[in-house]
Formats: sequence, C-alpha cells, structure tokens
Amino acid sequence: MEILLLIRDIASIALMAVGIIFVLAGAIGVVRLPDFYTRMHAAGVTDTLGAELIVFSLILQAGFTLLAAKLLLVGFILFLTSPTATHAVANAAHRAGLNPLLSRHQPPHPRDAGNGEAP
Amino acid sequence: MMDWVNLIGILSMALAMAIMLGRLFAGPSLYDRVLAANSFGTKTVLLLLIFSLMVGRADGVDIALLYALINFIATIAILKFFRYRSLEIALAQMSLRRAIDGEDD
Amino acid sequence: MEFDWTQLLDYALMAMLLAVGIAIVRLRNLFAAVMLMGVYSLLSAAWFVSLDAVDVAFTEAAVGAGISTVLMLAAMLLTAREAEPVKAARHWAALVVVSVAGAALFYAVGDMPVYGDPNSPANSYVGMDYITSTPNEIAVPNVVTAVLASYRGFDTFGETVVIFAAGLGVMLLLGLRGLKKKEEQK
Repeated sequence: MEILLLIRDIASIALMAVGIIFVLAGAIGVVRLPDFYTRMHAAGVTDTLGAELIVFSLILQAGFTLLAAKLLLVGFILFLTSPTATHAVANAAHRAGLNPLLSRHQPPHPRDAGNGEAP
Repeated sequence: MMDWVNLIGILSMALAMAIMLGRLFAGPSLYDRVLAANSFGTKTVLLLLIFSLMVGRADGVDIALLYALINFIATIAILKFFRYRSLEIALAQMSLRRAIDGEDD
Repeated sequence: MEFDWTQLLDYALMAMLLAVGIAIVRLRNLFAAVMLMGVYSLLSAAWFVSLDAVDVAFTEAAVGAGISTVLMLAAMLLTAREAEPVKAARHWAALVVVSVAGAALFYAVGDMPVYGDPNSPANSYVGMDYITSTPNEIAVPNVVTAVLASYRGFDTFGETVVIFAAGLGVMLLLGLRGLKKKEEQK
C-alpha cells in the first residue's frame, strides 16, 4: 500500500512539473513572438495542455473524493472552452483583416537590381 | 512534501500571470489584448485550483469552475461586440435571419 | 523566524494589482483600459481567495471580471475609443487631496484589530450571535447566506429593487428594442 502512495506522489509531482514548464513556456512565448498569429499558437496550445496536466496532478493528490469529481469537471470544461476561445479570437482577427507577418526578409525586386535588366 | 510542490506551482502561476500582463500592456492590436486576457483568466483558474488544494478549502474549486465558464463567455461576448459594433445590430440580424428562414417549431 | 512562503503569493498579487492600476491610469487606449479593469477584478478575486473570503471572491469574479467588462465595452462602443491626453500639472489639487486621504487611511490601519483576531469587536458581539444561532434557527449551512437572506433580508431586498430600477432606467434611456414579434412577419 505504501508503494502505491509513493507512486501516486511521484506521478503527481512529475505531472505538475511538466505542466508548469508548459505554462511558463507559453507565457514567455506570448511576450517574445513577433506576430499575433504566432502568439496565438503559444497561448492556445500550451495553455490547454499545461492546464490539463496540472489538473490531472491535482486529481491524483485529491484521492477518490467529491473534490476529484469537481476537478475532473473543471478539467473537462477547460479542455472544451480554451481551444474554442483561441479559435474564436483568431477567426475574428482574420475576418477583421489582420494580416499575418509572412516574412521579414524582403528580397530585392528585379527592377532595383542593376540597370535596365529585363525582369 | 506535497505542500512545497503546490507552493512552487502557485508561485509559477503568479509569475506566468505577471509575464502575461506584459502582453496586455503592450500589444499593438486589440486581438492581442483579448488573447492575453483569456490566457490570464485560464492561469487564474489554475492558481485558484492549486491554492484550494493547498489550503484544504473545497470551495475554491467552485469559484474556479465558475470563472472558467465566465472567462469563456466574456471572451466570446467581447469578440461579438467588436464584430457587430453594437448590441442592436446583432439582435436585428438574428430577427432578420429568423424572418427569412421562417420559424419551424 | 519561520518565513511563511504563502505570503509570497500575497506579495505577487498585490504587486500585480499595483502595476495594473498604474497602467489603467496611464493608458490612453480605452479598450486596453477596460480589459485591464477586468484583469484588476480578477486579481482581486484571487486575492480574496488567498484571504479565505470565498463568498466575496465568487461575487467579485462573476460581477467584476465578467459582466462589468462587457457592460463597459458596450458603453465604450457608444462613445470614443481614445482618451484625450491630460496634463498632470493641472490636477495638483486632486493629487494633494488624494495623498492626504491616503495617508490618513494608512494611519488608521494601525488601529485596526489583528487579522483573524477572535476577540475583535466584529467577531464578539453580533458575529458570535449569528454563528451560534444560525444552526438552530435557520437550516442553511452557510452563515453568510443566512445573514444575507434572513437576518438582514430587508437589506438584500432593497439592493435588488435598486439594481432592478437602475437597469430599467438605463434600458428606457438607451431605447433598446426587443426582437420583432413572430406575428408581424406572417
């Protein structure tokens, strides 16, 4: 019985650690990435996955009680609503005309490269 | 020992929230800010969950559940406002669509 | 001295509240200010949970972070999107008044009872009376609900009437129509 509790503790700590790493990486990504659509990737994907991992870690800590059932409900709701909200924001931005940043490097136009060459 | 793990979780969530505030303050377009506010809300839900488990109060999970739903609804409501520009236009479009398609019960 | 590590959460939340408050005042884009006000309510709700006041956090999260943000956005869409710049030097009198009031409040905090003191006046007379007689007289397990709904029921009744009247007044002023009736289209 003791070994089961030990396994449960280790699994909970591992899940919480990986979840925290994902959430922090997503937060840093939202600040550092250059364009809105890239930031949406950082916020949407890492938020959902990190949140689910942390919720599973808490469920393992809570044991087999009503609290675990409520945590499962919160996890389910976050699993459904977080990607939907991210998609809604991206859809609204695209419909409003926000264009993605396609490239930062602009190759020289053929008419600028030399004198009178045919493009 | 699990208390220390939960404490590290709480402080990491607070750090992630503080980092996300940076995108709320800057953020050239309004969609950046909506994204940052939605993400901030999700992190607050996680903070409330870990804190409730750490302290031992079971009511915090109810608040986290409530806020997870409200966060989603508020994000969608804000996006709808910025698409329709007012509530009247949205209501008028709904009634117009219902009039054209015909209501079948 | 044993350092209470959960105080770090309180420090972090209060620092974020301060940063968000300063940003709300200094930003000129009104949409950003409205979103930041929603974030401020959310941080307050998290702080109330940290202070063990769960019912207040419920109300703050539902009203402040959800409804109030959407209502303020609706109001903002009827008016302007950018605030006009304000020179700071014009409002030195307001700054003096706020500083004096703030200093007086900080001075008054020193006289308040210690946080969680069971012998403070708020917890001794009426509070203890409510806590001891709620299980006998009212069959609701939550003391806050019993106080709001039964012992101070007229207060809640008055608040409901006031908010309903305010909502009605705003709707009449703004002239919001409902959906068209079904019979008008057949």
